[in-house]
Amino acid sequence: MAVWLKGPNGSGKTTLLRMLATLSTPSCGTLEIFGLDVGRQREAIRHGVSLVSHSLYLYPGLTARETLVLWGRLGGVVLEPESVVAALDVVGLADVGDRRVGGFSAGMRKRLALARARIESPRLLLLDEPFSALDDSGCRLVQSWVREFVEQGGTVMLASHDPERATPICDWRVDLAAGQIVGLDRGAGR
Amino acid sequence: MSSLLALLSKDLLLEWRERARSLSVLLFAVVTLLLFSFALGPDVETLREATPGVLVLALLLSSTLALNESFRLEREDRALEGLVMRPVSLTALFYAKASANALLLTFLGPVVVALAVVFYSLEIDVATMTRLVGLWCLGAAGLAAPGTLYAAMTSRLKSQDVALPLLLFPLVVPVLLASVKAMGLVLTGDAMNQLRSWLTLLLAFDIIYWSVCGLLFRFAVEEGE
Repeated sequence: MAVWLKGPNGSGKTTLLRMLATLSTPSCGTLEIFGLDVGRQREAIRHGVSLVSHSLYLYPGLTARETLVLWGRLGGVVLEPESVVAALDVVGLADVGDRRVGGFSAGMRKRLALARARIESPRLLLLDEPFSALDDSGCRLVQSWVREFVEQGGTVMLASHDPERATPICDWRVDLAAGQIVGLDRGAGR
Repeated sequence: MSSLLALLSKDLLLEWRERARSLSVLLFAVVTLLLFSFALGPDVETLREATPGVLVLALLLSSTLALNESFRLEREDRALEGLVMRPVSLTALFYAKASANALLLTFLGPVVVALAVVFYSLEIDVATMTRLVGLWCLGAAGLAAPGTLYAAMTSRLKSQDVALPLLLFPLVVPVLLASVKAMGLVLTGDAMNQLRSWLTLLLAFDIIYWSVCGLLFRFAVEEGE
């Protein structure tokens, strides 16, 4: 399923995504992902979770191709050159695969981060403002990718201030305010 | 091991692509040698006696520059957070980063020792120079491990440039002391057969630092992200 986290600034969307990505621990209570405790079994959870955040975790000195290869190796996957080219092609970066990320525009960097998330084959995909910095074709790419990912059995949690783009692709809408769930709407957009 | 090699090759590749940074660390070490030679005066004997201390101080001061820089790239675009989020052992992350830092400092050794021979009018043979470079490398290893740990801890502070030396310098006193004493014995002769003791001390602290800092690294990066 795809879940849209909706709420004003400071409502806790990014904090929730960071907790789900095992980057923060809850100040109280417990949090389990795939039946595993976030506080104690982080490494096991990290095999199945991928986050595309405001910060894109890119090294300006590496090329797009090197970025994907490094990410794959850190996840225990040795990527064939053809699959790297294919992953870059999907996001429209195949022609600039050997250029350093430092010279990329914000949209290109976002596309690379999305390609990187895709090669991880996660079970849970976390997207924090995935439409920001992207042009129309990039936004459509994210939308089709989210639906494709969900149809393959994955789960997406998406925080966005863009209802026009988030509503059509999400199965659930969760309204947040001041760190609390204040509304839950099934089939909000679909 | 595969993750460690991937991270190490990433660090070395980035270091190579930003060679100006490594060069600035080398120049800083050379300038330190020069300044100490001016401060100590023209007396050749004084310069020779001070050589071990000056070499180790050049290593120490340039190491803070290198260590600060090594985490600057990781903080840009929060790349370190991205690495922490991968299913990679944080211990592997530490050993990759510490090894890259140790290698960078090690590469400075031959150049700085060779320049010290010129600046301080040392009359030594190639074997003595090689031993000095070897001791430099052991000293570099002793600084790189705690330096990497503290650089990770302080990298999110605005006052990192001040905080790193304040934390690091007191901790590495045993390494500095053992390096200075061992280099002094290599230069002036080891009549009382003390070199082995200082070398053992230096090696022991290298092993302790690399082991303990590897265990503590996760606390420096995990929650702080």
